[in-house]
Amino acid sequence: MSSKKIRRIRSLSVDVVERLTKNNLITCKDVLSRSDLELLKLLGFGIFTIHNLRQQCSLACVPVCTTGLELLTKRKQGTGQFFQTSLHGLDHVLHGGIPMGTVTEIAGPSGCGKTQFCTMLSVQATLPGNRGGLEGKVLYMDTESAFSAERLVEIAQHKFPDLYNSEEDLCRMAENVLVDNHQTCASLIKKLESLEEEVITHRIRLVIVDSIASLVRKEFSSSAGSNLVQRTNFLSRQAALLKYIAEVFCIPVIVTNQITTRFGRQATEQDEEETTEISDGYVTVALGNTWSHNVNTRLILQYLDGEKRQVLVAKSPVAPFTAFNYTIQRDGIVQDEEGAGLYAGTDPGVQQINVRTSLPFYNT
Amino acid sequence: MQSQRELCSFPIAPSHKSKLTSAGFLITEDLKHLKPSELSKETGIGLEECLEILKLVCSESVDGSKRNEAPKPAVSALERLKEEQSLPPIITFSEGLDNMLGGGVPLCKITEFCGAPGVGKTQMCMQIAVDVQIPSQFGGLQGEAVYIDTEGSFIVERLVDIAKATVDHCNEMARLEGFKEGEITVESVLSGVHFYRCHDYVELLATVHLLPEFIKKHPKIKVVLVDSVAFHFRHDFDDLSLRTRLLTTMAQSFIKLATEFKIAIVLTNQMTTKFSPGEDSRLVPALGESWGHASTIRVILYWEGQKRWAWLYKSPSKKESRVPYQITMGGVRDIVTFPADNSNDQSDDEPSSKRQKVS
Repeated sequence: MSSKKIRRIRSLSVDVVERLTKNNLITCKDVLSRSDLELLKLLGFGIFTIHNLRQQCSLACVPVCTTGLELLTKRKQGTGQFFQTSLHGLDHVLHGGIPMGTVTEIAGPSGCGKTQFCTMLSVQATLPGNRGGLEGKVLYMDTESAFSAERLVEIAQHKFPDLYNSEEDLCRMAENVLVDNHQTCASLIKKLESLEEEVITHRIRLVIVDSIASLVRKEFSSSAGSNLVQRTNFLSRQAALLKYIAEVFCIPVIVTNQITTRFGRQATEQDEEETTEISDGYVTVALGNTWSHNVNTRLILQYLDGEKRQVLVAKSPVAPFTAFNYTIQRDGIVQDEEGAGLYAGTDPGVQQINVRTSLPFYNT
Repeated sequence: MQSQRELCSFPIAPSHKSKLTSAGFLITEDLKHLKPSELSKETGIGLEECLEILKLVCSESVDGSKRNEAPKPAVSALERLKEEQSLPPIITFSEGLDNMLGGGVPLCKITEFCGAPGVGKTQMCMQIAVDVQIPSQFGGLQGEAVYIDTEGSFIVERLVDIAKATVDHCNEMARLEGFKEGEITVESVLSGVHFYRCHDYVELLATVHLLPEFIKKHPKIKVVLVDSVAFHFRHDFDDLSLRTRLLTTMAQSFIKLATEFKIAIVLTNQMTTKFSPGEDSRLVPALGESWGHASTIRVILYWEGQKRWAWLYKSPSKKESRVPYQITMGGVRDIVTFPADNSNDQSDDEPSSKRQKVS
């Protein structure tokens, strides 16, 4: 709303608007980001007119105020404010699934199932509403060229055999997932800027960016200096765009993130029982602290021993720190019955992540 | 002396200033008892603009003369003390945190919570938004809250959780003390939170600009929460001086709000990584050093291993100290036993909330 044109504000007189336009003050943003004295100098009005102008511009772009109660009733009426992940334990602690209108991050080591998770969610989103789906299309922005349509079909076939039993149904489902490849940061941001159009024309109900980290880590170095500042700006800009889309259309946005090895003292050193790990590096979520501020919910995937993997709720405005075990099967990600429980969480920025330590085969 | 004030020092447009000067109007005295039409004839400035200039200059001089006659008397510290004591702070439901802040989040002041992602800034804000509504017989403020969300992390279901825990706690106290129950309900708490969602910094500025009027309309408002002040100011700003200026302007309006309406302002801020040559990088509150002056009280929330700590970093009255706290299903609480096993259990939550003294 900040780009609202001043001439659309009815309560301002014609000559005020004219003089503003002459001085290149077109939008409310132009007026509100200038001080009284600056406006005085530019426009040559009296101070009271300026005050009035500021008041009117503020009124024009102030967001609507609601009370908590109104929000709650609105949410209860709406067709589900959460997007079910089909991991029932996870859905339960998140009050029903991934919250609509927010940005959710899935982070984890390579091969842990991030792309699998996203593929499964794509299938889930195309389902009809009475099966927990979103009845819409999915925009899958793939930066790692990891998306496999074959896998998408396989998951759909095995997960919902009653819905997708004919070739035709499967084709229709696959048509609903739009895949978009991006190889550079510039093309990604350009896409994000025009995302609104796409969301409206294709009735997109789920946006996935897999992964947000790979391009950024390829194009910017993470060492200190101006490069890092650029990287941070780029990420914040991306986050703001994604948040806006999520909020305005009330859809979930999912991004995936990689992991990085961090060196230096580990935060848990003060704990007395902590004697086992004296390694000087530990694995944690990539892209740093500033990016972490930008996601509303963070899920971390990590390896346990053997086939077992674990999903952690590492940051959430609603859920406590909880962990669930899962395995990757033909029908996607399946939650195990046991192994769920609370864990003692820590800073999601330095949450340690288990990677695969031993490979399942031996060097003979 | 006021009548000697030079006209150049008034906020008048430069083109008008030069016209006034060339017509010989230099000080306030010269404009006294002048009619707009006369001024317009003398200077060639439009009628409406002349009226505005006269209004501005005369009202200032009238105010000034009043001030000269009866200058606002200095308030003695005793009166200030009484005044401060008559304004109860907003408790946070964590006794340790309250003690550290001197009883809770104070009114008439700006309190800033800085912290890493996921440490509980949003939770703290929601807790305060609920706690400000505790009825007066329990020692609460019985107020309302304005919640300005810039990040989109306000989830109303979570507010319901916290409100429920608080309402249960109040009802239990009412039973024990023999008060009437049901003074506070989840619905009343929810309708006492006025929520704004700002999508960019211009909307934030506009909202802050209109807050005085909003508070006049809703006189029960006792706290304004902004979660977070940093988000929109951390991207899309090539012009850093503009950012600093907008931030200081905003800080000034917050200070004005806080003192004029005797309300508490609670801001949250993000952390940023600072590199200094030859040293390790470290986390510092975002928005730079000059923003640090904006808040009267600054609390840094951080992780140490698996415990959350609050560190009083800046305060005019309390000494620097730190306390651990935890976030349970019911909201922000003290750590009662060892954190590893009770961090989120509903059953363990009960004793810890009973321990809270509201009065």
